[in-house]
This record gives sequence, structure tokens and C-alpha cells, in this order.
Amino acid sequence: MNTSSNGYVMGFAVTVCVVISTALAFTATSLKSTQEAAAEFDRQKNVMMAVGIVKADDTRPRGELEALYKQRFAEVVVDTKDGVVAAGKTVEDVQKMKSAEDKKRYRVVVLSKTEDGKPDSYVLPISGKGLWSTIYGYLALEGDLDHVRGVTFYKHGETPGLGGECENPAWCATWSGKSILDAQKKLVGVAVKKGKVDGSIPAEKAHKVDGLSGATITSNGITNFVLADLKAFDGYLTGLRSK
Amino acid sequence: MTATTTPPVAKRSLFGKDELKAIKDPLWDNNPIALQVLGICSALAVTTRLDKALVMGIGVTLVTALANVIISTIRNFIPNKIRIIVQLVVVSGVVIVFDQILKAYMFDLSKQLSVFVGLIITNCIVMGRLEAYAMSNPPWRSFLDGIGNGLGYMWILAIVGSIREIFGSGKLLGFQVVPQALYDAGYVNNGLMVLAPGAFLLLGIIVWVQRSISGYVEK
Repeated sequence: MNTSSNGYVMGFAVTVCVVISTALAFTATSLKSTQEAAAEFDRQKNVMMAVGIVKADDTRPRGELEALYKQRFAEVVVDTKDGVVAAGKTVEDVQKMKSAEDKKRYRVVVLSKTEDGKPDSYVLPISGKGLWSTIYGYLALEGDLDHVRGVTFYKHGETPGLGGECENPAWCATWSGKSILDAQKKLVGVAVKKGKVDGSIPAEKAHKVDGLSGATITSNGITNFVLADLKAFDGYLTGLRSK
Repeated sequence: MTATTTPPVAKRSLFGKDELKAIKDPLWDNNPIALQVLGICSALAVTTRLDKALVMGIGVTLVTALANVIISTIRNFIPNKIRIIVQLVVVSGVVIVFDQILKAYMFDLSKQLSVFVGLIITNCIVMGRLEAYAMSNPPWRSFLDGIGNGLGYMWILAIVGSIREIFGSGKLLGFQVVPQALYDAGYVNNGLMVLAPGAFLLLGIIVWVQRSISGYVEK
């Protein structure tokens, strides 16, 4: 057989491609549901990390953590346009929503409870553009709806080691205790500074966190979308505060 | 990189001289990292913790072995003109399958390994073994060669990973090994070990030690 004729080479290349793509398509489809379940558990774990009851390297088995999530957390759909809890809309409804407008309007907030069932913290979903990708995360607010309990970023496509450091627990921990409201109770958000926070300036100490070195665009992106999402939830949060 | 070619013999045992050589050589005498100096990039990147290093080692071992078998089986049909492309397609396919399995069953680790799983495709060990061994040897021996090279890569990664994890974060496989009393006495974790330069130094030392024991001299 002449294996160097053009016809043979073409035929061989096509065969290899078809065989490999069939194998890949088969693997991807058969593993899809398991992967989705794993991603959903990762999301729940990140909610718990934002609140601070679970650590990133927690060694407890998955079943136990899932039970903990079920017991201590409740998901509610918030209508960010009217700033109220959207009665009659379930989390499944939101997941099925197709239009970008609806997705922007209805968002799922997670409420955490203390062990004896008292309201504890409000976990807001935050997401937006970094440098390469959309970054997804959670921002947990204390019961006073002003101070940050914790933050996590769980899904992104930023450069590992640079922008990807946004998921570093050590960096996320620096968000704790920051305040999203200024002295006049006006929303200012939490900004990622370029460089280190100067603790001697009160405004900086209260509303800024250290920058991610080598990742200015990721840092700016986080600053922008955290503020934008907090603004979207402002109506809802103001309503809660006045209660 | 040295290609070991042996003339075909009509009948051979499952673990003959060549088979043992194929699996034992890369562990020490022809180690992919210490002697062939292949796969250094990933060795630096994924060795901050032992579990990452082990999963990466297992990944490279499986990918090299499987790709070796596939290429070796079809080696007589691969047109010489496009052999590198065909090797790449096969390697990419195997790596993507491995990545998908990781995503389904070890989500946390797959997140931490992130792009480095995908980068197994470009790991020189895989391509190097395909070109140097699988293209001219039968499947079984190629399989053993793949396993051998993967393990040769893995044990070095495991050593680097253990040292970095113990000195960089005071843990091993996620469990605290440096006692709290030591921290109370003023001991601090070594930041250099967490960063890539730490791995570079360690790797250099390991290559040096390995070469002085095995007596390898650069020609």
C-alpha cells in the first residue's frame, strides 16, 4: 500500500478525526450530568465559604456538606427592579429564563441561618467581566447589610497565577469586614486598589482591598461588577434595612 | 532522547528483557525529567501540593501509555508526512477525555489544575515518547514505556511536591504536619516554596543529585 499518496493521506486524516471526535462526543455526553452535579456542589460550597462556615480545603465528605447547605441556607428570588422578593418565582424558574433582561432582573439570593435557625447573613451572587472571561462569585453581607462577611470567586477563565489569584482564599479573606456604605449610608461598594491598601487612610481601610499584582484589568473588572451588582440589589437591601 | 529499537523476534515473553528495560529505564537511567529534561514546565507549575503533583503524574502516565498504545497499533498505517499531526490529534483526544473525567469526579482538583491538564497535550514527554518509541515498537512494549516514563515523571514531581507542601504550607496531602507548637515558637512557612522559583531550585538540586548518583555525563 502506498501510504504517501495524497489520497491515502487525506483519507487517513479524515478517518482519525472522525474516530477521535466520536469518542470525545461520547465521553462528553455520558459525563455531562455528573459534571453538572459536581459544578452545582462547588457553587453551594462557595456560598458556604463566603459565609465562612466551610473552608476551601474542608475534608468533610460531600454528602455531609450538601446536608449542611440544605439545613442552613435558603434560596430566594429577588426582583431587582422593584427591590422585593419575587413571590411566585422559584429558583428553577430563574434557571430556565432565557432573555438577558429577565436574568438581570431576577437573581437568586441565598439567606443563611445560624444553627438555631435565626437569620445570619445575606449572600449575593456577583458576576461580571474580568480580562478574559466572566467571573462568578458570591459576596456575603453581615446581618447589618453593610459589612462584608466574606467573598468567593468560583468560576472564571482568568490567567492562572495572575487574575486567577482572585480565587485565592488568602486574598478573599482580606474582603472580610470591609464596608459597602459610607458614613452617610450611601452605597460605595468595595474597590480593588492598585497596590496595597494604606491602613492610615480611614476611607481606604473601610472600602478597599489590596490589588492583585499583575492583574490590573481583572482587579478593575471586579471593582466594577461588585459595585454594579450591589447597585442592582440596593433597592432590596434598603428595603431590608428599613425593616 | 534515545530511541531503543530492537530487531523483531518471532516469539517473546510478556516480560522479556526489552519489556523490563522499557519500564525500568525511564525510572532512573533515562529519567524524562532528570536526564531527558522534558516536561519541566508542568513540573514547576503543579508541584505546590502533593495531591496536585500526584494527579498530574497519574494523568501524564495514563495519557503517555494510552497514546503510546494507540500510535504504536496504527504506526504502520500512519503516513510519514502527517505523523506529527496524527500524534497530536490522538494525544489531544486522550487528554480531553482525562480532563472530562476529572471534571466529573474530582471537580476541586480539576479547578486547581486548571489549564495544566490541557497542557499535558504539549508536555514534551508525551510527544517525545510517541516519536522516539511508539512509532518503532509494538503496542505492549510501548505501553510499558509509557507507564515507565509517566512514573519516572511522577516520582520526581512527588518529591518536589512533598517538599514544597511541607515547607511552603506546613501540610502534607492537606493534613497539618508541622506542629502548632513550632509556629508558636516563631517558625514561619517558607514563601519561596509556594512560588515557582522554589520549584526551580528544588528541581535543579534533584537533577544534580540524580545525575551524580547515576553517573550521567552530558555529551
